[in-house]
Amino acid sequence: MALYHLGLSTSGHDPALALVDAQGRLVFAEATERFLQDKRAWGIAPDHVNHLLSALQQVGFDLASDTLTVATTWKKAKAELPVQITGDLLPASDALWLRELQAGLHARAGASLLRLGLARDMPEVRRYDHHLCHAITACGFAPAQSAACLIIDGEGEAGAVSFYNLRDRRLTRQWRSWGPGSLGTLYAWLTQLCGFDWRLGEEWKVMGLAAYGTVQPQIRDLLLSLLTAENGRLRFADRDRLLEIAGKISVFARSGDAPLMDAADLAASGQAAYAALADRILDTCNEGSEGNLILGGGCALNSSYNGTIVGHTKFERLFVPPAPADDGNAVGAALLSWMQTTGIDKVPVLPAVPYLGSAASASSVAKIGNMHGLAQVSDISGTSETRVAQLLAQGKIIGVMRGRAEFGPRALGNRSILADPRAPDMKDRINRLVKGREPYRPFAPVLCVEDVGDWFENAQPSPYMSITLRWRRDRALLVPAVVHQDGTGRLQTVDTETTPWMHGLVRAFEQETGVPVILNTSFNIMGSPMVHKVEDALAAFATTGLDALVIEDMLIEKYKA
Amino acid sequence: MSDVNETALFSFLREQIAQRTRSAPETISEDMTLSDIGLQSIDAVLVCGEVEDRFNVEIDPAEIFEHDSLREFAQSVLSRMAG
Repeated sequence: MALYHLGLSTSGHDPALALVDAQGRLVFAEATERFLQDKRAWGIAPDHVNHLLSALQQVGFDLASDTLTVATTWKKAKAELPVQITGDLLPASDALWLRELQAGLHARAGASLLRLGLARDMPEVRRYDHHLCHAITACGFAPAQSAACLIIDGEGEAGAVSFYNLRDRRLTRQWRSWGPGSLGTLYAWLTQLCGFDWRLGEEWKVMGLAAYGTVQPQIRDLLLSLLTAENGRLRFADRDRLLEIAGKISVFARSGDAPLMDAADLAASGQAAYAALADRILDTCNEGSEGNLILGGGCALNSSYNGTIVGHTKFERLFVPPAPADDGNAVGAALLSWMQTTGIDKVPVLPAVPYLGSAASASSVAKIGNMHGLAQVSDISGTSETRVAQLLAQGKIIGVMRGRAEFGPRALGNRSILADPRAPDMKDRINRLVKGREPYRPFAPVLCVEDVGDWFENAQPSPYMSITLRWRRDRALLVPAVVHQDGTGRLQTVDTETTPWMHGLVRAFEQETGVPVILNTSFNIMGSPMVHKVEDALAAFATTGLDALVIEDMLIEKYKA
Repeated sequence: MSDVNETALFSFLREQIAQRTRSAPETISEDMTLSDIGLQSIDAVLVCGEVEDRFNVEIDPAEIFEHDSLREFAQSVLSRMAG
């Protein structure tokens, strides 16, 4: 009989579940959207019964004898909190919608245990502070003894910034901001102004578009006047003043059907304002950190800003977990529950492995042979890195589904589409033939961690694709498909220990081409979550211009037309 | 902050509240409720942040308006500090 801790992300958006075993090992973590193939899975229970059952089966949980303790990522339902954090920039109906979704999930968390025979009454649920969950997740993935840990997001339980000290792996909150004032909300509003939709998670598009624009001091300064960051505590301007400034900024908004590039200067100015405000928060947090900054919360997905932190601030090392936003909080809640049960007050250091989700079902993999006649199927066990590298060097676009799925928003080689970054037209080809996304958005490079300094300025590891760095100019010319408009790349670094297959693949590709860089984009079709089942991958293969598919050690290639 | 007593906390609260309601500190007494004082909810929230910062204590945002008087609020903060 073993006790597992089930962390449930109950924000209402991006639900996820995480399982920590009795030894404090994080054995499973996955966003609900993957299982349901429904982007962001708004309002869906993070303990969705079939998803939970699938997770339990994969970790070897015995329904007859093992037990589950349930933990949520909010201490309170937002409706119980008399604190308005997001201000008046976004429509009140959006805030109300989120509050209602969160209230429902918060109240019903753990109900699936009844269905699974793991509880006779609604289970007692351990409820943890939202920002504390973020902080525990972020620290779990940061192998530092001491650090500053900063959580910046849309909203927590009192405000939208919390600052913690990590000392000898013990985490203590130093302060948090209270009341209206939120960088996450500011960025969401900016997303709307640029003609995108924050509810679809399109903040990425603003960041990508910013590279095409020029910072307009007038717009940047207006944006900066919306929010102060006194001693790190964020505060929106008073309502009337806020609405007055917002009105002036709205003049620069792009309507949804206007050309994208109309919003490029707005995006660049918004990104600059974000960076200036984030700098002001970081300025207050360095003392005693030993140069280490651990960043969490949804704003930690701003890879453009993240890439400027080392070298530009007093921090020498930056750690961002693979899932810094609300999906990742499920890990924090599960770890907090484990710490509560064991009485251990040090945050455990998790292995640097983001591959925490579902594996391809063995029975589905076994049926791939049935594809004979439809496609060419070969077993490439033992030679897969070389074989795939050869195909990439020939210009093939390849979908990869190997091992367990990544936890977090990034494809890091296990649910990825890979291609040759040397071809100038590769970006357009992938967009046209496979992804169907906007042509201005960049694709990411994968490099061996030991090579980063040769290719990028301000070199640093980026195992979870959390930072954007500037390419060395001469090297950028060699890999045009992964160089963004402003000469940067959001890189993934791989190593022999945690990502041996990808490391081997990059080296094999180097042998073929002389270039140790591969293009990596998430294995999904625009608007859909990353592929989850073997059948999802096969459907994408069949209905797009993917040339080949690697599922575990099986290579599936289209017959030549 | 173990030497903080009710008087010190109350005097801090009075100063903060007076500032936000633009009233004289001596007009604010311990028996008053937040609504007696005319403190808007956003200001009450911000005062809680100031108290957290000044006295290194954790305040539960859900409990801000649950107290009948300023005295009860101060006592609840003190008991959190003791705990």
